[in-house]
Amino acid sequence: MTINIRTDSAAPRTGRAPTSLRFAAAALAAVALAALLAACDTPQTTFEPRSDAAQRVHTIYIFVIVAASIVGFLVLAAMAYILVKYRERPGRVPQQIHGNNTLEITWTVVPILILVAIAVPTIIWIAGTTQPADDDALHVTAVGHQWWFEFRYPGLGPDGGDLVTANELRIPVGRQVAITLEAKDVIHSFWVPRLVGKTDMVPNRVNQLEKFKATEIGEFYGQCAEFCGSAHALMRFRVHVDSHADFDRWVASMNAPPEAPAVGSAEEGGLRVFRAQCATCHTIQGVSEGADGPNLTLFGDRATVGAGILPSTTANVKEWVSDVRALKPIPDPREVPIEGVSRVMPTFYVEDPDKDLLTEAQVDQVTAYLQSLRLR
Amino acid sequence: MAANIGILRRPVSTAGVWGWITTVDHKRIGILYGVTAFVFFLIGGIEALLMRVQLAQPDSEFVDAGTFNALFTMHGTTMVFMVVMPAGAAFFNFLVPLMIGARDVAFPRLNALSYWLFLFGAILMNFSFFKAAFPDVGWFGYAPLTTTPYTLSSSTDYWVLGLQVMGIGTTAAGFNFVITILNLRAPGMTLMRMPLFTWMTLIVSFLIIFAFPPLTIALTLLLFDRFFGTNFFDTVGAGADPLLWQHLFWIFGHPEVYILILPAMGIVSDILPTFSRKPLFGYTTVVFAGAVIAFLGFGVWAHHMFTTGLGAWATAAFAGATMAIGVPTGVKIFNWLATLWGGSLQFKTPLLFALGFISMFMLGGLSGVMHAAVPVDTQQQDTYFIVAHFHYVLFGGSIFGLTAGIYYWFPKMTGRMLSERLGKVHFWVMLIGFNMAFMPMHVLGVLGMPRRIYTYSADQNWAGLNLFVSVGAFVIAVSILLLIINVLRSVRKGEKAGMNPWAASTLEWAIPSPPPHYNFAVIPTVRSLHPLWDEEANAVEPPPLPAHGEPHMPSPSYWPIVVAFGVTMVCGGLLIWQASTWLGLAVIAVSGFIGMRGVYGWVFEPVAAEEHAEHAEHPERAPAHHA
Repeated sequence: MTINIRTDSAAPRTGRAPTSLRFAAAALAAVALAALLAACDTPQTTFEPRSDAAQRVHTIYIFVIVAASIVGFLVLAAMAYILVKYRERPGRVPQQIHGNNTLEITWTVVPILILVAIAVPTIIWIAGTTQPADDDALHVTAVGHQWWFEFRYPGLGPDGGDLVTANELRIPVGRQVAITLEAKDVIHSFWVPRLVGKTDMVPNRVNQLEKFKATEIGEFYGQCAEFCGSAHALMRFRVHVDSHADFDRWVASMNAPPEAPAVGSAEEGGLRVFRAQCATCHTIQGVSEGADGPNLTLFGDRATVGAGILPSTTANVKEWVSDVRALKPIPDPREVPIEGVSRVMPTFYVEDPDKDLLTEAQVDQVTAYLQSLRLR
Repeated sequence: MAANIGILRRPVSTAGVWGWITTVDHKRIGILYGVTAFVFFLIGGIEALLMRVQLAQPDSEFVDAGTFNALFTMHGTTMVFMVVMPAGAAFFNFLVPLMIGARDVAFPRLNALSYWLFLFGAILMNFSFFKAAFPDVGWFGYAPLTTTPYTLSSSTDYWVLGLQVMGIGTTAAGFNFVITILNLRAPGMTLMRMPLFTWMTLIVSFLIIFAFPPLTIALTLLLFDRFFGTNFFDTVGAGADPLLWQHLFWIFGHPEVYILILPAMGIVSDILPTFSRKPLFGYTTVVFAGAVIAFLGFGVWAHHMFTTGLGAWATAAFAGATMAIGVPTGVKIFNWLATLWGGSLQFKTPLLFALGFISMFMLGGLSGVMHAAVPVDTQQQDTYFIVAHFHYVLFGGSIFGLTAGIYYWFPKMTGRMLSERLGKVHFWVMLIGFNMAFMPMHVLGVLGMPRRIYTYSADQNWAGLNLFVSVGAFVIAVSILLLIINVLRSVRKGEKAGMNPWAASTLEWAIPSPPPHYNFAVIPTVRSLHPLWDEEANAVEPPPLPAHGEPHMPSPSYWPIVVAFGVTMVCGGLLIWQASTWLGLAVIAVSGFIGMRGVYGWVFEPVAAEEHAEHAEHPERAPAHHA
């Protein structure tokens, strides 16, 4: 894949004046370094498509890169030739040419032909995006919030309602997914480079993501691509492409209330803390019905905490619960009360008795409880 | 004449600081624009370096999120509105009257007003730094992030008001240059004998006149939302469609791209013939290609919005228009290469930078065609690939072109040559640093790195390339240092330039360097596109002054800076009003009075100071008032 990039990036460094040899060598070394680095494992790359949609885009992508690289290389080579051949020499008196219509028409028409060659697959692709979803497509509504993603599966929830989760989208492999995009506050953008190109999530508008069918089971990186305020860089998410059986098991488990924790266990204490402090904003299916924060049902199965930013280890979950602002630059509701904007998570525990809403023991308990919410 | 008595009498002296403050001389205003733009270039550059330090490694804590967001917002805003535009204006001002054989622009005081509004607007916006309210919403300030619920501090207010003040000056300058070029050309200087740079100035001026109103409207609506609680962009309570902002902004924003690049194209089109020793290949084609680019530039704005859900028809139409704009751009590149073909190429520094412009700008153009292909854009939009693209266009294009112009016309502006040796080192260091900094950004974009992120985690494996990019940014900084050294040394000790050091063909080289304040002792008569090549005699000596002595030039004036101050402080008063209603209203009232008083004084100002007395004696002979 990186070969195409290399062609592209080698182009500008092709030399011009006689002094350019050393420069060209340095440039080659730089490009080699770039290619080497690019060969590392980059989970968010746009160049390893794992869905039909991403593959269609990738084919056009490679085509335009090759076309642009050829044009760029030819023009730079012509330039280098001219610069060497027509450098100042004693006695050379240039002919005073003012123009040549045939030539100028040629180099107007040739680019038009190249652009038409790029326009045709572009237009065909655009027309393809207007196709209706397959009959058996999985419909999902993704909602962008400052700074996390909400995913709603209409009809898959309890009593035929919405099944709701956050920051980790689960979809079955090989089945078309049609995602409707909305935004709660400002503009965000939904992007999973290896599965599908981005489409913006715009408040007061309903957008349709390009429909796609994942071709490989696995975990894929997604990230908000439209600047959306202070924590934009930390608004990430994951997509888990599951087998059909795993997906169905997950849906069933999402709809079942969690088992009650053992009496006297840390988890039981955690549930009490959750009910007192967290339940107004967070939903756990069968436990609470808060709507402002991410849904936490089956939180223990999530790979990440904080909208895709950290591995969901005990230490990270604990720090997130205690002092969310140490991990993510979000405004403090006590300093910035905003009318009409979704509430944000308070800071619960910073070892300051005047401010703390929880004790360290309570933080440990609620962490244990959240991690216990697992698939059965 | 009561408007201009006592201390308000029209000034005479052009000496010292007051001489610069009250100047209406297009050459001095040009130098003011140039120096100011360069200072902001250093500020914007430092902002870039701070960002590159932050991004050099993953999970960096060099700056926090808020600071980083402010840095990229102000870097973009500064480089677009306070560097490349005024640097273009510096060349328009200094060169256009010289190129068309005029003694000044059509409205010299309006010209000074444009400069002061630019300077004060830029200072107003940057003043936010000292109020801990540096704008942090991105340089295109997408609603609803800019509305009150999401930006509680006054940072966005500084951004809106600073842009408005600068926009007034820019719009006035647009009219000034259209009128100058259409009306003040020397006898025989037909439109199709104008140097390419003058042509591009004319086209850019029209672009400014038509592109700035949508920005002004968008900013005014946002200003009303923020100050007076209107609901143009209020999505929470009033159901506004935030795409309204995007349309208005990009209807301005895309022509703006051509406002930034066409002056550099003009500069390069004038430099290539000089150092190839042959005329521009297809002069007419290059002129019309510029005009077509400008025209099409108004029909491609929504390619900034391919991912916003415009719908298939709009997306396809704007993709087609965007590809179409590549054609005249390509034609220009081919015509430049054909100009070099068959020439006798003198590799002086201005030519090197012009060649850097052609090659780097072409790469920016090619990556631009890539995201005109909408499916590709869904993967590239808002990633570092876009950042790479527009830096190839705006740095590899505009900055290389403008730097070529600095090396080319510095001798005309100062009477001294810049060091060729240092100039060549500057060129190679800048070209290498530029490609180190921006070429790997294409790869980062391909690897999925979004723009405008203050941090990234190590597992993304973007660290190595980012470090390399950051090193490149500092190499660019070194090259700028070389330019500063070259300019400071050459201003005092540089080789004397003489009238026409490059044996160039256009009118500005037919007068002494630096030019006298009246430019041409005798207005020349033009007979061809290359007056100094076709009529060698003209190039040797400027004609002597006519018998009646130096031509009469307008006197300096206080009023432009007074009016600009009044306008800016009305906006300053609005900002104070947020904190303290009565103090704000008082500032608005006083500044409004100062501004109005300035306009009154301006209108009734006599053409020259000495005419005060004359009018008193012969009021019926009062001359027509110049603007």
